[in-house]
Amino acid sequence: MRPRVARLTPATAVAFAAAFLAAAGVPPAAGAGPPSPADVGVAAPDEPPDEARYVSREVPDIAIRTVAGEIPLSALWRRGPLVLTMVFTRCAGICSPYLRALRRADEALDLPDDVQRVVLSFDPRDTPDDMGRTAEHLDVAGRPGWVLGVAAPADVDRLARALGFWFEWDEGRRQFDHPALLVGVREGRVARLLVGGSVNAARLGEVVREARGQFIASYPLPGDVLFRCFDYDPVTGAPTLAWGALVLLVPALGTTVTTLVLFRKPGRRRVGARQPGPSLRAP
Amino acid sequence: MNDVAATDTYPAQMTRVTLYWVAVGLVLFPVLAILGLVMRTLQAGFFAATPPEWFYAVMTLHGLGMVGVWFVAGLAAMSFLLARYVRPSLTVSWIALGMTALGVVMLVAATLVGKLGVGWYFLYPLPFFSEGTWPDWATAALFGALAVLGVAWTVWSGDVLRAIAGRYRLSEALGWHYLSGRDGPDVPPIVIIATVSCIGVLAGLVAAVVILLLIGWEVLGGGTANDALLIKNLTFYFGHMLVNITMYFGVALVYEIMPAYTGRPWKTNTLVVLSWNTVLALVMFAYLHHLYMDFAQPRWLQVLGQLSSYLVSVPAAVVTIFSTLVLTYRSQMGWSLAPTLLYLGVMGWAIGGVAAVIDSTITVNQAFHNTLWVPAHFHTYYLMGVVLMILGGVYHLAVALTSEAENVKRSRVMAAHLVVGGYGLMLSFYLAGADAVPRRFAAYPMEVANGPLLAGISLVFIILFGGLGLYLWDTGRLCVRALRA
Repeated sequence: MRPRVARLTPATAVAFAAAFLAAAGVPPAAGAGPPSPADVGVAAPDEPPDEARYVSREVPDIAIRTVAGEIPLSALWRRGPLVLTMVFTRCAGICSPYLRALRRADEALDLPDDVQRVVLSFDPRDTPDDMGRTAEHLDVAGRPGWVLGVAAPADVDRLARALGFWFEWDEGRRQFDHPALLVGVREGRVARLLVGGSVNAARLGEVVREARGQFIASYPLPGDVLFRCFDYDPVTGAPTLAWGALVLLVPALGTTVTTLVLFRKPGRRRVGARQPGPSLRAP
Repeated sequence: MNDVAATDTYPAQMTRVTLYWVAVGLVLFPVLAILGLVMRTLQAGFFAATPPEWFYAVMTLHGLGMVGVWFVAGLAAMSFLLARYVRPSLTVSWIALGMTALGVVMLVAATLVGKLGVGWYFLYPLPFFSEGTWPDWATAALFGALAVLGVAWTVWSGDVLRAIAGRYRLSEALGWHYLSGRDGPDVPPIVIIATVSCIGVLAGLVAAVVILLLIGWEVLGGGTANDALLIKNLTFYFGHMLVNITMYFGVALVYEIMPAYTGRPWKTNTLVVLSWNTVLALVMFAYLHHLYMDFAQPRWLQVLGQLSSYLVSVPAAVVTIFSTLVLTYRSQMGWSLAPTLLYLGVMGWAIGGVAAVIDSTITVNQAFHNTLWVPAHFHTYYLMGVVLMILGGVYHLAVALTSEAENVKRSRVMAAHLVVGGYGLMLSFYLAGADAVPRRFAAYPMEVANGPLLAGISLVFIILFGGLGLYLWDTGRLCVRALRA
């Protein structure tokens, strides 16, 4: 397999230029309108977001501004299962690779159009146009079900707190420090939180199915497992027998062999050679 | 059928080792019963300052201990009675006794010293995630004890099969010639039940060996983790099999001893053979009803679990219960303690079995699984079933060995205490289960107000211990006399 080489597209060049200018301390073109990055943020906790604390929580119905106009989040989750992630366009770290992973997983699953993928910027400097360019860069601009936009800083703050997401401005690096988080939303409530630097098709499929209200019976075990009883298809959710299930036959097979060995020589031995003991007739 | 004569007497050497096994049971049973009393006392809200880890440590020892004690007592008693027909090894029985004592010491250390509180099912990977509640050595002691006991009991069960194989072909030991109509020896029911039971025990213990190998591989640096669902399947295969087969040990005693009191023979026929062979086939799958809550388990396995649980209980139970009734009806049997306990044991098996079959129904289990209904049914067929059968068998042995006349009045007081106390205790479990009171709770929250109430009511049935005390004193005295003789 050939190694992937990053190609410089116009959109990438614009993003890099913006990041460079931001890093150089050049104020954004928008002027004095939005607050500065240092004025926003949700303090980072000691630990990553704990899913159990957020599942079933109500998601704030904020307005999202995109190049196509403004739309409330509730209008999106009424259309179908909603997956949401939060990024910023000037990110020099996880955001871009994370969004690419999300798109690849989405394409691998061939998700239907009713699934709403919302990518929201938490950077007050980002504009709907910035997000539109990111959509083009991701090659999802105009695709049904993809919504990339921004929101009012206060709304972003409310949403982030409701989802366990945090972002802090790091003046030294002139970057936001933040986790990568994918949230499954079902009818306005958190159905799943997926924390981690990447997202694959299996995980995304589970989040979408939970956001659709389907029960996920099992998740593959992390790490290297010696024998698995059953395999699990994350797309269909169906369990199938795995080779490890043969281990369940070992007791019966082992016992059958042992029994046959013990009984291999039929005997007709009479008892009574030992010293006779008591007779246990009823008193 | 060609009759192969059995002796009317039992080898004297078997008597001594059997009496030692009886002594182990008579000592450990009251201790473990008191641990059960401690659990219900804590659940009733007394000694509220007791740390909950003590409850779980006691629960672990009570569960593992009771299963182990009645397994060895049942196998020892059955081996003794089998000695009329075949020749089990005395050496193996003595080695098993020594290794069992070692295993018990390790279990006591792990639970009462180390405060290991994983339950009898030591659900993987819980033993390895104590969060400081118990030390690593306690986990090692648990698995060490299981290894020692597993080896001892595998060899012991294998020896019983070897002894049967010394006289019968496998097809004869399973009574297949009764089904085919071919010529063959008369095979006493106890031989067929022992063959079925020991094959089942071997299967359960092989499952335990696989568990130990898989966990050992992981712990000793094999570099791979284990599939928790696979380990749970194997754990319940092992655990359910041992408990289920212990029941059959008790039934074997009923088949062998009851005719001595009724004066009517209990002969093998096609129905008996068919029922016990069906048991052998189905008992391998019945454990699946323990995994109904494991939604990752494929649906067809859950259905198989329900079907096998239904079908495994019908043949042996119905045939045995019906035969016991036929055997005793108008038999002029004197209701001394041994046949009374054997009869009550069959009755407890029937009652507990019905409650168990109810719980093995998937839709019912969804509501009952984690409630006290589960301890209710397994205590019924265990305490009021197999335990009474074995106590009856042991009393029969003790009286016969000493030829001492039985004090019938005292026997009736004992039996009455056991019945009233035992079923009162069971009733408190059943009512709590029907009221959705959860099991395995060290202390009940406010939302489960009936939990402490019913646990408190169960303490009233301490009368049970009056009957047990009398039994232990009387039987212990007779056994000591028999040992000295």
